[in-house]
Amino acid sequence: MSGDYTLAEMMCVVGAREFPKRGVCLLGMGLPVLSGLLAKLMHAPEIAICTEVGALDYAPRPDVVRASIGIHDLILNDGSAMVTDMVDALGTLLMGGNVDFGVLQAAQVDKFGNLNTLVLGDYRAPERRLGGTGGNTEIACMAKQLITIMPQERRRFVERCDFITSPSYIDGPGARRRAGLEPQGPNRMMSTMGVYRFDTPDGGETGSCEAILEAVFPGLDPEIVQIETGWTLRVADDVRELEPPTTEELALLRRLDPYGFYLVPGRY
Amino acid sequence: MPPRACLARCGIIPAVPEIKLMGENEAIERFVADGDSVYTGYTSVAFGLCRAIARAGKRNLEVVGGSVGIQGTMLVMAGCADRVRAGYIASALRPGAITAMMESGELKYEDYSNQAIALMLMAGALGIPFIPTKSFLGTDYLDPKNAHHPGAYLFDQKWREMESPFDGQKFVALPALKPDVAVLHAQRADKYGNVQAWGHQGDAKWAYWAAKKPIVSVEEIVDTEMIRADPGRTIVPGFKVAAVVHMPWGAHPSGLTGYYDFDYGFNAKMGLGRITRSKEEYADWAAEWLDPFPDHAALMARYVELYGQDTLDAVRVDAGPVTADGISYGHGRNLRFRMDP
Repeated sequence: MSGDYTLAEMMCVVGAREFPKRGVCLLGMGLPVLSGLLAKLMHAPEIAICTEVGALDYAPRPDVVRASIGIHDLILNDGSAMVTDMVDALGTLLMGGNVDFGVLQAAQVDKFGNLNTLVLGDYRAPERRLGGTGGNTEIACMAKQLITIMPQERRRFVERCDFITSPSYIDGPGARRRAGLEPQGPNRMMSTMGVYRFDTPDGGETGSCEAILEAVFPGLDPEIVQIETGWTLRVADDVRELEPPTTEELALLRRLDPYGFYLVPGRY
Repeated sequence: MPPRACLARCGIIPAVPEIKLMGENEAIERFVADGDSVYTGYTSVAFGLCRAIARAGKRNLEVVGGSVGIQGTMLVMAGCADRVRAGYIASALRPGAITAMMESGELKYEDYSNQAIALMLMAGALGIPFIPTKSFLGTDYLDPKNAHHPGAYLFDQKWREMESPFDGQKFVALPALKPDVAVLHAQRADKYGNVQAWGHQGDAKWAYWAAKKPIVSVEEIVDTEMIRADPGRTIVPGFKVAAVVHMPWGAHPSGLTGYYDFDYGFNAKMGLGRITRSKEEYADWAAEWLDPFPDHAALMARYVELYGQDTLDAVRVDAGPVTADGISYGHGRNLRFRMDP
């Protein structure tokens, strides 16, 4: 046990533990960067971390002073196997089929794992305009597997995204193929309450393609998770309780975020 | 006869290359016209050149870039730009003047993505009319009703869903993008505008080639021999560049690989957020950090006066573990030949 930790810290630690253990990944802006760095340094040293800005196979030195702040951070130039441009990173690397998994965060997610980074409300009469998708859209379209890390709140976990900027299983089985996209999976989602998989054995061709809660944070039960979920939650029969972060995980995570850029107190 | 003279005699290059080095205000005055589309992105951030555009009072500009940083939305707040074509607008991340102007339609905008703008710039550079992508498939961007929104200005010219003539695969055709101007900041150049840049480039690499008039500010002006001894680092040759400007700290408070980091401390003090929070706050900010300065050097002098040289030096990159070894571009003696007749 490690004493006090925030739900956001727990989410990053769980994300890092659940990272695939090898493969080429593209990290999106926000918590995926922090969680990805923790994974690389502790749980999945063989992954090749890339960003859309052009750093490929970033290998932070063990004594790296901090996680990259955003994905444009110049720190990513120090120790990458290759630095190049966005046509290479999102074209050659991603569209060329060389990305095993993408890790993304968004403003909204829905029960099929689709993401929204653009607008709340109707796009044609926006309630709240957001920053925009950056590379989120193409990573969701083309990564072979999608990992989502985002805080769980009822306004973020919605039945259907106000605007799907970044497709996972769209509206259910077969939808990716009909849209012209390749199968994708097994997709996973980490929130500030638990871990989800998606009900499809073949990357979105069959199964319901809906999110299934398979693990909860220490001390939570699925009924509490349902309160912060905007659709009727499906829960795995063998839902498990996650181990709290270890002292080592927490210490490294906090060291990587010395300015509180990611783990803003009180945000989640 | 030296090779240059020989190539010049054949009409391949001018006998004496044109000197592209000029001051920032002259470059903006000569090469930025009202109504131009202007690339400014999230890497190679030409903050100083964007301030020069704002000072020059240009009008009706379109800001383009995969991700548009605050130097781009500063042009909107300054009344210089009225359209934004981007995948990500940093200033819209939090509610403020930019989001309000987008929601009301006062600011025109077209949403793309980072990959889209990068590919569109590449298509523009390649001189082809469009480029296919598999991005946007399965999203609400392609819903025809979303072609009309409060900020729309491209409508059916924005993109087109198509099928490959060869295998029937679905794709989205993105139109080529050739901005009138690109403002970029890089590490070094010679006075002829041969620019060298290193570090991750985002979509800047293709902006150098897609833009009709690339304007490049650099940290250092170096001898042309230094460029020609290391041509693999050149991102654009001088003949493609409209103007090169010597501007130390030209990306500040953004960073530049090998020179300085993003100045988070200054951002906190100077409050870049003030630029787009409200029109009133912008006016205060501009009175403090834009209007008083005839050029970027004067602004940096003010920084040092207020916060001290030590504060500025603290964001400088120490050339420790990341310095690359010298490499050779030499060739074997048996391949030497003389160009003299």
